Amino acid sequence: MIQQFENTYDVTVIGGGPAGLAAAVSAWEVGAKTLLVEREEKLGGILKQCIHDGFGLLMFKQKLTGPEYAQYYIEMLKNTDVNITCSTFVTDINRQDDGIFHLILVTHHGIKHIYTKAIVLATGCRERSAKQIFIHGTRPAGILTAGTAQYYVNILGQMPVKKCVILGSGDIGLIMARRLTLEGAEVEGVYEAKKELGGLLRNYSQCLMDFNIPLHTQTTVTRVFGEKRVSAVEVCSVDENMSRINGSERIIECDSLILSVGLIPENELAEKMNITLDAETKGPAADQCYQTKKDGIFVCGNAFHVNDLVDYVSSGARIAGKCAAKYKKRERRLIPVIHDEKFAYCVPQLIDIDSDQKKADIYFRTKQKEEDKHVTVTSGDNILIAKKYIEMRPSELEHIQIDIDKIEYGNDKIHVKMGKVE
Amino acid sequence: MDLIHKLNKKLDKMFNGSVNAKEENGCVILTGSLNSWDDIVKAGYLAVNKKKYLGVINDIEYTKEPVPGMRLPDLEDKQYDNVKCDVAIIGAGIIGCAIARELARFDLDILLIDKEHDVGMHASSRNDGEIHPGVDLIKGQVKQKYNARGNALYDEISKEMDFKFYRPGQYLCFTKKYMKIICNIARLYWKVMKVPTRYLNKEKLQKRIEGISDDMECAVFFPTAGIVCPYEVTIAYAENACDNKVKLALDTAVTDMEVLDNRILSLNTNRGTIYPKLVINAAGVYADKIAQIANDRFYTIHARKGTNAIFDKKTVKKNRFIVSAFGMSAVKTAHSKGGGILTTADDNMLIGPDAKETFDREDFSTEDINIDQIIQKHKKTLPGLKKSDIIAYYSGIRAATYEEDFVITEGKNTKNIIHVAGIQSPGLTAAPAIAKDVSLTVKKMLSEIMEVKPNADFNPNRKAIPDLARMDEEERDRLIKQNPDYGVIVCRCEEISLGQIKQALSRSVPCDTLDGVKRRVRAGMGRCQGGFCGPLVLKTISKIKNIDYEYVAKKDSQSRILFGKTKKHDTAV
Ligand SMILES: Cc1cc2nc3c(=O)[nH]c(=O)nc-3n(C[C@H](O)[C@H](O)[C@H](O)COP(=O)(O)OP(=O)(O)OC[C@H]3O[C@@H](n4cnc5c(N)ncnc54)[C@H](O)[C@@H]3O)c2cc1C
Ligand SMILES: Cc1cc2nc3c(=O)[nH]c(=O)nc-3n(C[C@H](O)[C@H](O)[C@H](O)COP(=O)(O)OP(=O)(O)OC[C@H]3O[C@@H](n4cnc5c(N)ncnc54)[C@H](O)[C@@H]3O)c2cc1C
Repeated sequence: MIQQFENTYDVTVIGGGPAGLAAAVSAWEVGAKTLLVEREEKLGGILKQCIHDGFGLLMFKQKLTGPEYAQYYIEMLKNTDVNITCSTFVTDINRQDDGIFHLILVTHHGIKHIYTKAIVLATGCRERSAKQIFIHGTRPAGILTAGTAQYYVNILGQMPVKKCVILGSGDIGLIMARRLTLEGAEVEGVYEAKKELGGLLRNYSQCLMDFNIPLHTQTTVTRVFGEKRVSAVEVCSVDENMSRINGSERIIECDSLILSVGLIPENELAEKMNITLDAETKGPAADQCYQTKKDGIFVCGNAFHVNDLVDYVSSGARIAGKCAAKYKKRERRLIPVIHDEKFAYCVPQLIDIDSDQKKADIYFRTKQKEEDKHVTVTSGDNILIAKKYIEMRPSELEHIQIDIDKIEYGNDKIHVKMGKVE
Repeated sequence: MDLIHKLNKKLDKMFNGSVNAKEENGCVILTGSLNSWDDIVKAGYLAVNKKKYLGVINDIEYTKEPVPGMRLPDLEDKQYDNVKCDVAIIGAGIIGCAIARELARFDLDILLIDKEHDVGMHASSRNDGEIHPGVDLIKGQVKQKYNARGNALYDEISKEMDFKFYRPGQYLCFTKKYMKIICNIARLYWKVMKVPTRYLNKEKLQKRIEGISDDMECAVFFPTAGIVCPYEVTIAYAENACDNKVKLALDTAVTDMEVLDNRILSLNTNRGTIYPKLVINAAGVYADKIAQIANDRFYTIHARKGTNAIFDKKTVKKNRFIVSAFGMSAVKTAHSKGGGILTTADDNMLIGPDAKETFDREDFSTEDINIDQIIQKHKKTLPGLKKSDIIAYYSGIRAATYEEDFVITEGKNTKNIIHVAGIQSPGLTAAPAIAKDVSLTVKKMLSEIMEVKPNADFNPNRKAIPDLARMDEEERDRLIKQNPDYGVIVCRCEEISLGQIKQALSRSVPCDTLDGVKRRVRAGMGRCQGGFCGPLVLKTISKIKNIDYEYVAKKDSQSRILFGKTKKHDTAV
């Protein structure tokens, strides 16, 4: 691991979270001269603040904490000669006429320029803010996202709440419900506007049930009170269309409102490169090699789509890193992967049939809870794979592998379908 | 029939005898009680007669719900007790700050007082930031006069005080072809008013404004319309004032006065009794309350709320503009400016504001319905606007008088006060001109009791905190090499560096809160709204100001972020 950098590379990985770490290691393994850029002081991304365990069950068959999981990859990096630059912010990317990318970096030594053949975007995601879900009422202190609360508690060792309401049942919210309770705060309840839990079932049982924290589904926060610090919130039941049910309002006294209402892939750089974002994933569309529609730009981890397990992030990022290392400009014949409306999304959105990446992991989420369903991937009349699921939930990413060689030539679509098990 | 009698007849008819009018000291005084706030406001307007009376004093009691009083700081100390000064300015909004800066040209002891923990916390940071060309102002209005002069002054003051100022011009669009005639008649009027205009046909309009609705058939273009960041201007004025020895008393509320023989002797505040020779009332929504305790009330402020929404930077079009449509007010209020769409000085799209009367003068809350209304309305001009692209929204309160004009005058009863009241829109535009005039009035008034000399050390120039993300590369590189903190990005959405945040914390106007930093360098104003950088800014404040984490606040000591250490604060990293 080399803490400095030169100015030309085969692969530049932007973001030093689990995705970026895995991508950099695998790019180097295939022989690419690789640079890893991270804007924070330390590597590890969001894992640095996830001190609970449960990471790495799939990858390492053991329960690691976030920092432990990240450390595993950081150790791997130490045995490579990937160049690393932390506290470095990528402000701009341009592609030159010769196809080489020119990156502008801000560091505390000044502005640097580097040139690279391929880029891996591993910039992670951000949390939806109170404004994005239109929380109204007064504007006091005490409204914060679950990730921010997690930073205060786990990194700064400071309590951001005494008595709180959590809006949204995403994983970070569930984990913070437990964490704050353990730290002596009162979590009045978790409120979820949808019918379904937003996070993983295992987090529901370990973080809420075990601590007797109630989950109120189909209920949302409709107003905030308190001018300087939150003094109360109003919650209200909502129907299937998210419209409030009048008369069901209830005022809950509390000093904080914690939001766990969704993560959005962070793609400022992709947007600067005019890569259009997929309306469903909010990340760039990519093929099974994790290459976006723009040649030479790869994307992985939560910047691609929001993953619920870091293990998926790492395994996808390894492929992204490897493919970026082998990147050579050529015509790609891309076949779109489309899906039934029962799915919230499927990735990759494209298959490059000429690629030597002959297996493709299709990851998908359903829109609603589904029971006893078949998921079938077809190309024309050809069934590439079919798999039976006893249960699928929107919060749990599923995946299924297809063989690219089985794709019939001339078929212009790959279709992911859902059907009842007879 | 005399006027008051006539008015009472009208009031009786409307409110069944619940309201009574009388004349006193040249003012109309309304008393009684009503349970509809809108009715109280209606009665106020009914009583207006600018030719005959100084103003309307609307004392009708609102019976439906309690009317919240002025929010007070929780601080109680003797910091400013017995402080004597030549001029005390009550209110550090754009008006108070601009007056302080212009007054600093004289060798005077000036104390600028505000009840909030920072300057410009009320209307002055909760507006659109448009430097109005004067589209809807009428000859003879005080606001018309100051708007025109204020607008012209912005070129100069933006250079002196180094704040962002653009003149993209404003487009007033018309939906019908035949309106071209109205356009041309109106243009003659504007010509008389010395407001330059240009006519644009549909084709030209579409070229100028990407994404404009196909329904817009023509437009009048006002090239003098400009854009600033309103709190940047207010802070710049305040900093320049303080750089020139004006003293600033924050967290200080004027709650009472001692008035003897038509002169104010002292101001009572939560931080001691202050003894000024002259008082300037620039208290925004509370200007009439200040007038009252000064024994010099002849107008009433009624609060009119407006809500604005800010869009993600990615929605910004290639060129800046200010655009509005003729006669398309979503909320039909006689006194709504109608609002518009504009590119802010920091390159976001902004829409708004609407107009809603409210009895709570500090009601900065927002409602979904207002956001929906303004977006519906402005979609007619720019159909591409999407609610999902909104990243922030806020409300501001206009301090309107029933006469709907600025009140800029020496006291009527009380000798040593100057009112600068009723400064609703376009107060931001007018402020530089108002400040110049008021400072001359102060000089004149004080000259009767003391010698007023110029301040030989006055420096009109102020340097802004460097805005690295907008700099060219060489300049940015040079600054980072001088100060490596400029190369450490803390706010990722707005690309704000540690160096800029540290600067914000160490200028002549004190700043030690997250909101203070946000308003000075934009850390936390981007799409993530401070989710990532909030804790980092908090850490920086704690370090630079040498205060524990738990004492760092969002806006003042009553809005702290943290409650103290966790049980086991031996944390992971
Ligand atoms: C709170 C929380 C709890 C979780 N719990 C679990 C769990 O129990 N078990 C589990 O398996 N998974 C869990 N996950 C999921 C998993 O940890 C994430 O999916 C994973 O961390 C995503 O990795 P990433 O590398 O894509 O993103 P990140 O970890 O966010 O890393 C992105 C990195 O990119 C850097 N970066 C971004 N933009 C730039 C730029 N312009 N220049 C330079 N650097 C940049 C960022 O600073 C950051 O370090 C959890 C996730 C969260 C947020
Ligand atoms: C939604 C909206 C949009 C607008 N858009 C524009 C625009 O585009 N262009 C334009 O030119 N104008 C605009 N305006 C008008 C402009 O914002 C105001 O005219 C201007 O900010 C008024 O400044 P001020 O200093 O008088 O008041 P304020 O900024 O309200 O300042 C008054 C200050 O007095 C303090 N204070 C009050 N009472 C006391 C007390 N008793 N003791 C101590 N301190 C006290 C308050 O804390 C406050 O800081 C808009 C207004 C609104 C509400």
